[in-house]
Amino acid sequence: MTKVEAIIQVAKLEVVKGALHEIGVEGMTVFEARGHGQQKGHTEFYRGREYTVDLIPKVKLEIVLADDMVEKVVQAIVKAAQTGKIGDGKIFLSRIDDAIRIRNEERGGGAI
Amino acid sequence: MNTLPIASAELRDLYAKESARIQQEFSVRGEGSVALAQRTAVVESILVRLWSEIISANPTGPEGFALVATGGFGRGWLFPHSDIDLLFLHAGGGTEDAFKDSIRRFSQEVWDLRLKLSPATRTLAECERFDPNNVEFAISLLDCRYLAGDRDLFSRLHEKAVPRLVARECQNLIQNLGEITRSRQHKFGNTVFHLEPNVKDGPGGLRDYNVTYWLALISAMEKLSSWPDPRALLPVSSRRALDAALDFQMSTRCFLHFLHGRHDNTLTWEAQDEAAVRKIGVADIEIATAADWMRVYFGHARAVHRVSAQLLEEIPAAWSSVYRQFQSWRSRVSTADFSVVDGLIFVQKPDSLQDPEMLLRLFHFMAQQGLKLSTTTEYKIEQVLPALASTPPRGAELWLYLQETLSQPHAADALRAMNALRLLPLLLPELKGIEALVVRDFYHRYTVDEHSFLAIENLHRLRDSKTEWDRRFAELLGELEQPELLYLALLLHDSGKAAPGDNHVEASLQFTESCADRLDLDPADRDSLRFLVGGHLEMSAAMRRDVFDPANVKTFADKVGLPERLKMLCLLTYADIKAVNPEAMTAWKADNLWQLYIAAANYLNRSADERVHTDNNDSTLAHLRSLAPVAGKKINNFLEGLPQRYLRMHGVSDVLAHAEMAAQLSKDSVQLSLKQVRHWYELTLITTDRPFLFASVSGALAAWGMNIVKANAFSNGEGVVVDTFFFTDRFRTLELNIPEWERLKQSIAAVIAGKVDVARMLQDRLRSEKTTSTKVKIATQVEFDDACSPHSTLLQILTQDRPGLLYKMCSQISKQGCNIEIALIETEGQMAIDVLYLTANGAKLDTDRQDDLGRALRETLESKPS
Repeated sequence: MTKVEAIIQVAKLEVVKGALHEIGVEGMTVFEARGHGQQKGHTEFYRGREYTVDLIPKVKLEIVLADDMVEKVVQAIVKAAQTGKIGDGKIFLSRIDDAIRIRNEERGGGAI
Repeated sequence: MNTLPIASAELRDLYAKESARIQQEFSVRGEGSVALAQRTAVVESILVRLWSEIISANPTGPEGFALVATGGFGRGWLFPHSDIDLLFLHAGGGTEDAFKDSIRRFSQEVWDLRLKLSPATRTLAECERFDPNNVEFAISLLDCRYLAGDRDLFSRLHEKAVPRLVARECQNLIQNLGEITRSRQHKFGNTVFHLEPNVKDGPGGLRDYNVTYWLALISAMEKLSSWPDPRALLPVSSRRALDAALDFQMSTRCFLHFLHGRHDNTLTWEAQDEAAVRKIGVADIEIATAADWMRVYFGHARAVHRVSAQLLEEIPAAWSSVYRQFQSWRSRVSTADFSVVDGLIFVQKPDSLQDPEMLLRLFHFMAQQGLKLSTTTEYKIEQVLPALASTPPRGAELWLYLQETLSQPHAADALRAMNALRLLPLLLPELKGIEALVVRDFYHRYTVDEHSFLAIENLHRLRDSKTEWDRRFAELLGELEQPELLYLALLLHDSGKAAPGDNHVEASLQFTESCADRLDLDPADRDSLRFLVGGHLEMSAAMRRDVFDPANVKTFADKVGLPERLKMLCLLTYADIKAVNPEAMTAWKADNLWQLYIAAANYLNRSADERVHTDNNDSTLAHLRSLAPVAGKKINNFLEGLPQRYLRMHGVSDVLAHAEMAAQLSKDSVQLSLKQVRHWYELTLITTDRPFLFASVSGALAAWGMNIVKANAFSNGEGVVVDTFFFTDRFRTLELNIPEWERLKQSIAAVIAGKVDVARMLQDRLRSEKTTSTKVKIATQVEFDDACSPHSTLLQILTQDRPGLLYKMCSQISKQGCNIEIALIETEGQMAIDVLYLTANGAKLDTDRQDDLGRALRETLESKPS
């Protein structure tokens, strides 16, 4: 099993969700996130006060998948979230040892 | 001690068989109270049997030791998966040690039967001692009931120890019970109206019924020093409602235990569907849907919550000196119409409530003071409602009281009370559909009506802001010109959720139209209300896109159109999200909302000079032409080249009036109109553009002692200007002297014509005024922006507000050879925020001129008044 963590633009969440649903991925966890890579912050002035945002709002998706689905999911996210500009986000993949469904204590691939 | 083998298997079979029989009987008859009594009897028979086999063959022995049912078991309310509260009561003469092993064995046997036991072992003396760390035990003794053992020992507990404990510790008991209850209710957001309520611990649930009973019992025992008649404990006025609620809730909780197969008291959506199909607790009522069944649930829960809240308020008042002082202070708010006793509102002349105005004033008083209605008052309101239903108040009178009520700090509580008494749907039938309405989604926690009240409460709570985010939104709230429209919009924004179909916004808009008719709102207010309700999801939608993307900001800001509307929509969005559930408004969302707000506010200020072209097929223009087809050409001439912002700021009637004034310029070159609008005056000037015009009028108004809080200046393609000044009359000159209205207009016309020296007028005024100290020091900021307009240079000035400021500033601009194309003047507290679109010789200002003007303005604005 593999955990896919994708940090994407807020505006792309619905499109990415749609793309994942299309390839049969129904379950995911979404977090409100902030951060920046190469993308710089943003400064806006209002009533003489400066409001600087160093950490840009993003959303982070976490999905745990069977290994044979990973590449398909990565491609779906990339295709849906890509604008070609700085700030599109990142995808991280990591190994998962086990999964347990709390309701019925089912383990392994069947629990995800 | 008896060591005979226990017939465990036999008891297990008996319990399983009886439990199945009770469940079967409940599934047919659906009577919770019967099932509870049956399970109590079964468990009791098992425990007595175990007692006789393990402790004493004689059911009334041994001496000095007894088995007592407490808590829910004591009351005879054993729900299918409830714990069994037991007290092993010792006289205190050594039985504790003698029966230690027997008690362990007894308990083990009970657990082996898979009954969940909550045992306590105490001596009689320990029972009489109050332990502040275990108030629950003292409370559980209020329901103590004899099961087996030394009957005399139990009598000493029941007849002496408990009454003495209660009489001595009644203050502590009530205070602790109040704290526990408030803390429990706080966990549920202090509201009955959850989408998936907990029927035991949620507000208005069975625990609240118990609290009501215990409070009344403790209060009565304190007076009698003995047990009162339990049938006479609860308030007579609410007894029937409470009995019905208890019956319903017992059946519901029983049903949930059977459905879930465990001790789970949550009325999940699935459980609601099933309860509606099986008509749990409502055999004689027509139930079509789960939402109908939930309305019955909420009706009962509300009745229980109302009485428990009332007793929690009333009973502690009798003892606490601090509480007494507080209530005594609160009673000072009594008026000629309403008296306040122990934090409850009574009507001085109850019959006066037949007058609808008095009824509306009562809720205004409640919203203002944050007090509850007394039961007597509620009863009286219920009595007068049927008569009121035939001719409910409506129109401007209703709106007057409603807006006053909505603007008070405790408006949400007043609305809840009006709703509970069925007054709110009577006054605004548009809200009838959302009363206790459960709309299922995974984000909302409360019913639609409660969500709306909570949203209003969220805005009022901004006054006590603790976080930086809340303070920013609180500032915006303080700046609103008509907060009452925002509150009304929040009340109506989800009114369409009861309508069939997926688009609740459309349905909410229809209810809004109907409500605006009912309240006889003026066209401008109706427009704002329509905008807020119709667009209440727009800002959330824009937040789901990139809040830093200029295209997203532009699209959103163009839909909003006006800074004032942007502020209202931002606050509506804030309150709406926060009312979804307690965790919904995260710092992440608050930050995004604020960023979008400031980006859109800046965009609106920097895009004010997009012009009107009358040959465009614009819907606003088409609407104007349809209203005044004969004057079509006149309107076209007037509007051509005016900024789009002008059309957004002025309603249709204003535009038609301005076009008419412009048409009169050939007869009189200065057209002025003066009117009072809400808490300020509005002066509109239409004339041909000329140097120093805006400065001169500003100066003349300041010389008259008027405080300009807002102003706009626009000009059309033919050089006709439309300047509007909104000002307050600091010396009440206009209010107290009607002839002065005409004199003011004449004076301004004379200044424009150059017949009067405005500088001297103003100097005289400023000399006669004392300089007032500034509460907040605002540093002057002068900024130019060449990028945001293709025709003009934008100048933004932030500075300390002071009399004559606008005149000084605009004179300086004119002296530097600049023309004011558009002026957007705002004042927030002591800060003047002015945005001006300037040209020089018909073009943008070059760098040299910007430097010179900037320097001159800083010198002027930073110099001390002469």
